[in-house]
Amino acid sequence: MTHHPRLRDPRLRGGPIAIAIALTLASPALAEVKIGFQAPLTGPAATDGVSAKTAAQMAAEKVNAGGGVLGQKIELVTYDDQARTDEAVFTANKLVGQDAVQFAVSGSYSASGRAAAPIFQKAGVPFISAYGVHPDITRSGNYAFRGVHLGPPQGRAAAKFVGDNLGLRRVSIVTMDNDYGQATVEGFKSAVDQFGIKVLGEYSYSLKDRQFGSIVASVKRDNPDAIYVTGYFFTAAPLVSQLRSAGIRAPIVGSQAFDAEKLLEIAGPAVEGVYIVGGLDRDRDMPELKDYLAEFQKRAGYAGENVGATVYSAIRLMADAITSAGTLDQAKVRDALAATHNFPHLAGELVSFNALREINMPMNVNVVKDGKFHHHAWIDDLKLLAPPTE
Amino acid sequence: MLYYVDLAFNGLIFGCMYALMAVGLTLVYGLLRILHIAHAAVYAFGAYVAVIVANGTGSIAAGFAAAMVAAACLGMAIYRLLYQPLLGYPPYVAMIASIGLLVFMEDGFRIAFGEQGLTFAHNPYPTQLHEFAGLTVNTVQVAIIAAAVVCLTLLALFTTRTRLGIAWRATVSDAPIATSFGVDAVKVRYLNFAIGSALAALAGALIGLLNNFVEPTMGFVVSYKALAIIVLGGLGNLQGTLIASLVLGLVESYGTIFVGRYLDRDAIAFLFLIAVLIVRPKGLGGIKTA
Amino acid sequence: MSAYATSVLAIIGINVMLAVSLNMITGFCGQFSLGHAAFYGAGAYAAAFAAGAGAPAPLALLAGVIIAGLLGIVVGFASLRLRDDFLAVTTIGVSFLFVGFVRKQPWLGAEMGMSKIPSSGLGSEGNALLILACALLTIALSLYVNRSWMGFGFRAVGDDEDTARTVGISVGAYKLVAFTLGTAIAGLAGGLYAYFTQFIVPDTFGFIVSVTLMAMVVIGGTGSTIGVAIAAVALTLLPEVVRFTNDYRLLIFGGLLVLVMRFAPGGLAGLGRAVLVKARGK
Repeated sequence: MTHHPRLRDPRLRGGPIAIAIALTLASPALAEVKIGFQAPLTGPAATDGVSAKTAAQMAAEKVNAGGGVLGQKIELVTYDDQARTDEAVFTANKLVGQDAVQFAVSGSYSASGRAAAPIFQKAGVPFISAYGVHPDITRSGNYAFRGVHLGPPQGRAAAKFVGDNLGLRRVSIVTMDNDYGQATVEGFKSAVDQFGIKVLGEYSYSLKDRQFGSIVASVKRDNPDAIYVTGYFFTAAPLVSQLRSAGIRAPIVGSQAFDAEKLLEIAGPAVEGVYIVGGLDRDRDMPELKDYLAEFQKRAGYAGENVGATVYSAIRLMADAITSAGTLDQAKVRDALAATHNFPHLAGELVSFNALREINMPMNVNVVKDGKFHHHAWIDDLKLLAPPTE
Repeated sequence: MLYYVDLAFNGLIFGCMYALMAVGLTLVYGLLRILHIAHAAVYAFGAYVAVIVANGTGSIAAGFAAAMVAAACLGMAIYRLLYQPLLGYPPYVAMIASIGLLVFMEDGFRIAFGEQGLTFAHNPYPTQLHEFAGLTVNTVQVAIIAAAVVCLTLLALFTTRTRLGIAWRATVSDAPIATSFGVDAVKVRYLNFAIGSALAALAGALIGLLNNFVEPTMGFVVSYKALAIIVLGGLGNLQGTLIASLVLGLVESYGTIFVGRYLDRDAIAFLFLIAVLIVRPKGLGGIKTA
Repeated sequence: MSAYATSVLAIIGINVMLAVSLNMITGFCGQFSLGHAAFYGAGAYAAAFAAGAGAPAPLALLAGVIIAGLLGIVVGFASLRLRDDFLAVTTIGVSFLFVGFVRKQPWLGAEMGMSKIPSSGLGSEGNALLILACALLTIALSLYVNRSWMGFGFRAVGDDEDTARTVGISVGAYKLVAFTLGTAIAGLAGGLYAYFTQFIVPDTFGFIVSVTLMAMVVIGGTGSTIGVAIAAVALTLLPEVVRFTNDYRLLIFGGLLVLVMRFAPGGLAGLGRAVLVKARGK
């Protein structure tokens, strides 16, 4: 395109406004790639929603700082789905209909991801569920991907950790009674024979509970070698605290959702020595991770955890797929996503997606030492972790 | 065997917690026939004041004192600004307004203090353990039981031995007659809200201390249970409410272990409520007294 | 019509059906029910289960209506023994019991809910139009009942039970009819919802929904069909229209409830009447 010297100084021309408009319309820098983003900004899941939104914004900015995708900037169109299915449906329809997003990421919980996925699938919008674990999300169709381990592989990994790494046999299970907790425990139980584990007792609690006296008494009676617990920080912290207060010394192995700074703040010294299967390895020697953690702490005011990391990586993954597809054509980007290999996910090396667009990726196990999360072990038996293919 | 004692003891702690909460609720109902659902917001408010003042001054005792005083003021304000003008209307008007206030305040806590909640900066109590009779308890659990016993005893003495207390009971039983005897009904109402709210704040602060965690929605969970309790106890009946609190605590403690596979915790509590009401539609308390 | 507009219309229709049917129980007949979401849910799950078992849409919807209605009769019986606040708290209990039960039943999908509900064959827009038609029918029915002898009976019971009894009105029968009618319609709404979204989870039918429905009735003006319908539409649209205030959504909702109750306890209908009276007075 030749430069006309006259245009450089619009004041010299009559009708400067018309020219300014022409310039604006012709400028490629303002064409943007819209990525739809859903997160539970209000409601019971608001803590994770805020993490998700912060992380997503950081990822988008990082991508744009590096030149964007195919020379264009990405723009996040964010909606609050309140972790509710009908809001997820509304906002997904809005993203697809009114906002005409070309790609979408869910930074929300299972049920909303499950409700939104078919809408994106029908509209041919490549979609990544960053950390929502409802199994039917990826079954919605070949445009739906998941960026986190499903519940059952997490449970199986925990069984291997308890049986092989810790060498312990008699286990009591305490689980939250939502879909995530139930699915994870099913996975754990499916692998107990393989690792020589005997389940002494299984107890469940509601996400609203903060006092676990009856469960603690039951675990005390079981007298297990180890305790496997699923829960989010607001239930895990009081539960671990109360288990220890009751004089129970057995090692506690927690699920992925334990992995939040708030856990340490609430439970204090009681959480020392607790293992977390699927926690974020903050010690990893990865420059992008270190930058992410520093920046996230600055923006959010608390330390980064799994939710934020998975959302950040999901946005990066989508941008990466667009770049490697070399086009904004949604079908080609979908194919590029499916063909992802060895992607530098913040939580580990994302080896590949399987036929059902679930991740093949090793799982980290953290331990709480000196009041901080530290890497303890990797579970990299990808066959054990293998997600279903249909 | 120890296991069942352990479960019973835990039920007792739940029960004491519920009692501190429910007393305020039943006092308000007894006096005004209003289901003061916003009481749960006062409970949460107490917890927030306690943790903020404690962290700011370094003294947990100061936090508790501030919480009770502030909550008493809040309770009286709620009466004056919200309920008093609505006394002439059908009771559901006040109830809906109360629900609205609860939702408003709980979201206000979230916006003001963050979704993640607050923790006490220096709180060694939940991990201070004491052994007795084979049970292990921590300092805060002991405090909860002590607080419940002390406060309720004081309340009982107050309503039976002091002039103001007797005037209060009279007003609850029969307001017009009490007034004709020279009792200032309005003063009694303010007292009612002040005491009930202070107790709720104490309960909230204790729970915040016990969990080392104060969160915006902490009131919701307890609010419905407290309603169930005062209905179980026979609306307006103080002794009934206490009995119902303890019974519900025990039912939940045993119920979640043995029936937890089929029903979740809230459902168990309400199933128990409904079962009792089928047999005794007026609740466990019987005749209404203050 | 865009998918978004379709989904908004559908949810408006559902909320209108739910609020107007609740108004029959609470507004007309004076039986305070904070458990309406349980009947909505019962209808949804019954229809979803029947559809999954192979029943065609009309039959599945009928299943929803019947199951919800039966549950309504049961609760109706409770209302015979319990008055006012006891009843209110019992209905709260019903709301929690429903969710607490469903969440633990694997055959109802437990926590994961029931997904892949078969299509009704009408398509998205067709479903939405069906819902709107049912909503209009519900309003019409409600207006008709209000003017009929049944409505008179309801109001007598709602205003003063004891006096109604002395005048020879069969209080128990009217209460049961009110509950059955209101809950059956809620069940229909549930079935329609299940077909529209093809995915239901227990949380959709929790206590907060019961509270929201009651808020619609009270803000609309307890007893006024049109007022309640308008309130249902407005409260459904409000969060969509003022999305920029989304972070303060609950604050606004709670504040609205407080303000309306404090300054206009008659709701929209009450305000409407006051305006009319003033206009005539001029």
